[in-house]
Amino acid sequence: MKKIIYATCAFLLVALLIAGCAAPATTVPAPTSAPPTTVPPTNAPAPTQPPAPTQPPAPTQAPTKQNITLTYMASQDWIFDADQALGKKFEEKTGIHIDFQIVPSDQYFNVLKTKLNSGEAPDIFGGQSGVTDLKLQYDVEKNAVDLSAEPWAKQEDPLVTAQSTVNGKLYGLTYWDTLSGGWVINYNKAIFKKYNLSVPTTYAEFKALCQKLLGNGIQPLYEPISDGWHHVLWFPELGPRYEQVTPGLADQLNANKAKFADNPTMLTVLTQLKELYTLGFMGKNALSDAYADRDKIMASGKVAMTVMGTAFPQEVEQAYPDVKADSFGFFVMPLADNQLLNLNPAGPTKFIYSGSKHIAEVKAYFNFLTQPENMQYYIDNNPRALTLPFPGVKSKFTPELQAFMDAHKDKRGTVYQTAVNYVNPQWMDIGKDLVAMFTGTLDPSGVLKNIDQRRTDMAKTAKDPNWQ
Amino acid sequence: MNIIYINPANLTTFIQQLIMRNKVYPFYFVIGALVLYLLFFVVPSLMGFFYAFTNWNSYSSDVNFVGLENFELIFSAGQGYLHYIANTIVFTVVTIIVKTVIALALAVLLTRGVRRLAPLYRMIIYLPAVLPMLAVSLIFRSILNPATGLLNTGLHTIGLDFLAQKWLVDPSWAMPSVIGVDTWKGVGYLMVIMIAGIEAIPSEYFEAAAIDGANSWKSFRHIMLPQLTPVLAVTTVLNLLYGLKVFDIIFVLTNGGPGHATDTVYTIIFDEFSKGRYGVATALSSLLFLAMIGLGYLVIRVMNRDIEG
Repeated sequence: MKKIIYATCAFLLVALLIAGCAAPATTVPAPTSAPPTTVPPTNAPAPTQPPAPTQPPAPTQAPTKQNITLTYMASQDWIFDADQALGKKFEEKTGIHIDFQIVPSDQYFNVLKTKLNSGEAPDIFGGQSGVTDLKLQYDVEKNAVDLSAEPWAKQEDPLVTAQSTVNGKLYGLTYWDTLSGGWVINYNKAIFKKYNLSVPTTYAEFKALCQKLLGNGIQPLYEPISDGWHHVLWFPELGPRYEQVTPGLADQLNANKAKFADNPTMLTVLTQLKELYTLGFMGKNALSDAYADRDKIMASGKVAMTVMGTAFPQEVEQAYPDVKADSFGFFVMPLADNQLLNLNPAGPTKFIYSGSKHIAEVKAYFNFLTQPENMQYYIDNNPRALTLPFPGVKSKFTPELQAFMDAHKDKRGTVYQTAVNYVNPQWMDIGKDLVAMFTGTLDPSGVLKNIDQRRTDMAKTAKDPNWQ
Repeated sequence: MNIIYINPANLTTFIQQLIMRNKVYPFYFVIGALVLYLLFFVVPSLMGFFYAFTNWNSYSSDVNFVGLENFELIFSAGQGYLHYIANTIVFTVVTIIVKTVIALALAVLLTRGVRRLAPLYRMIIYLPAVLPMLAVSLIFRSILNPATGLLNTGLHTIGLDFLAQKWLVDPSWAMPSVIGVDTWKGVGYLMVIMIAGIEAIPSEYFEAAAIDGANSWKSFRHIMLPQLTPVLAVTTVLNLLYGLKVFDIIFVLTNGGPGHATDTVYTIIFDEFSKGRYGVATALSSLLFLAMIGLGYLVIRVMNRDIEG
């Protein structure tokens, strides 16, 4: 009897093992199933959205209902409700499911590069555009698919496509608002009015303003350091100022004829940044503050300023309707007395992994995203996007933002993570060094020396002729 | 068939003698496992040794021999690798001591002290060991948040504000906090091993000692500890290997921060690998491999000498 029981158990275990090893295709839901009811109706793409007047790009192939799941890996701050709603709409249309794999931002690049290096990347991977990043971070010529012939490629803003192009081939779709101004200080107008403060034009004025706020029990700045990347913005985003003080610096750095450690303006910026932290202007818990809490914190009115994009006021209004977008104003980061607006044509970009088995399907997905009605849906339903780098879309610039942009029409420049090679690929390393600087284990000049060292390592590894 | 009669009181000694004489099982029993081990562990490790002397990286398909360049980089003062090695050693040594002491104390308490509901306590203390490290780390990341975390909130509530710290974001507290979480998770596992060891010690020893007038401390010092040496050897080696390879708990709790305060060799290997600097990464992992073999062997030798003595 026991033998029969043992034999039955053994048979069942083997059967289970074989079933477990079976192809996963059987688990994919049937393509004709109704759209999931869990999607809130407010998130669904508006079907009545009129198409833009420009000619929409034609899909490379007519999508048919298919049992396919496309994996899309991105950093946590790159995926919004609008992305997921468009993914659902695409699934309804084609049966192709988009599986969004969202990774915490402080770990994203390590995870992505490990996957790329081990040949296990998802069908679509998110990455920051910029020519050096494309070559060094993602090695797009090996890891990504050439998208130059896609119908949307010629419609994308040339400044933006240039950042995703290597040796004349376009590798990424920058589905991101890169045109509405860079990272600036968003300030609470009511707090400024209450304490009779005006927009600072020098670092001394900015420091005095922060001290006055702190003295009145208001935290001057919200700086979410725990994410590992946000606090880095204070340094390379001031590229226009470095260039203003030392004309041609970016070219000299790229030619290996100048060093970060030798630049006094950069040293000043880092010294002043450390001072902002040390004097408590970023609050007592800046090292554990999270980017995800930005809306809540700024809507609370307990903090006066934060470095965010120009779409931030609208983002807060959407999350907290009582707090109107026009309750925030903008000014540029005034470290080293900067008064120039920082612009960056590079941004989070979608790439197709060259090892994907579903390249045609991903291309169809990209074509779907770049249909005018879908781009407009994305802009209308994503508070972080005021526009997209494609013609025919209606942007959401407020009069305040338009005035700010107009005021800096002739006072702007490109950020250094884009203008200078080998800076953006070490963004998270700079973040760690800055935290070490804040906590006193590294001084500002040490941070600059580390940047130079990593640039040298990357350039030599990449066999850059300027470093040979 | 030869039948060997063993006095239960001498069972442990008998098994040790059998193992030492190597007469329990024929050698070919281990061939299958050995082949798999060689194929999937030793061969890749040896390949790693080869690549440690090259400039293998993700930016070029050429792999060139560079001699000791990668090792020079690791041991040069300005690169920070020595700091990561020091962090690894601190983590390993402190967790070995703290986890062993606490686990031993709990094991003694739950075998010789607390009798009522002892199985329940054992289960509760063991419970963290079965939780995934990722889940534990994420939970503790929330608990240890200085502004909103449960720990500081609780301390403020009961008026112990002076004990509230910036646990994971203060460079002087980050490593102790990580060690604390690791101890909380790992101590139950060691405790169970030690309870098994204590229960294998014949009770006659303790009874004889009691008749001779030995107090609890003397019984512990002169009977329990010597009898537990093989168990302590196993737990020490397990802790040593775990400590040197620590990665997941640090990656999730602090990601090596604040700054580089909690970076260890494995977090840096991961970092180097993700940067595509395979040569440096394999040099680091080769060093760690050698350290683990050397230290593991040393610990077993020292502990075995005690047993034989």
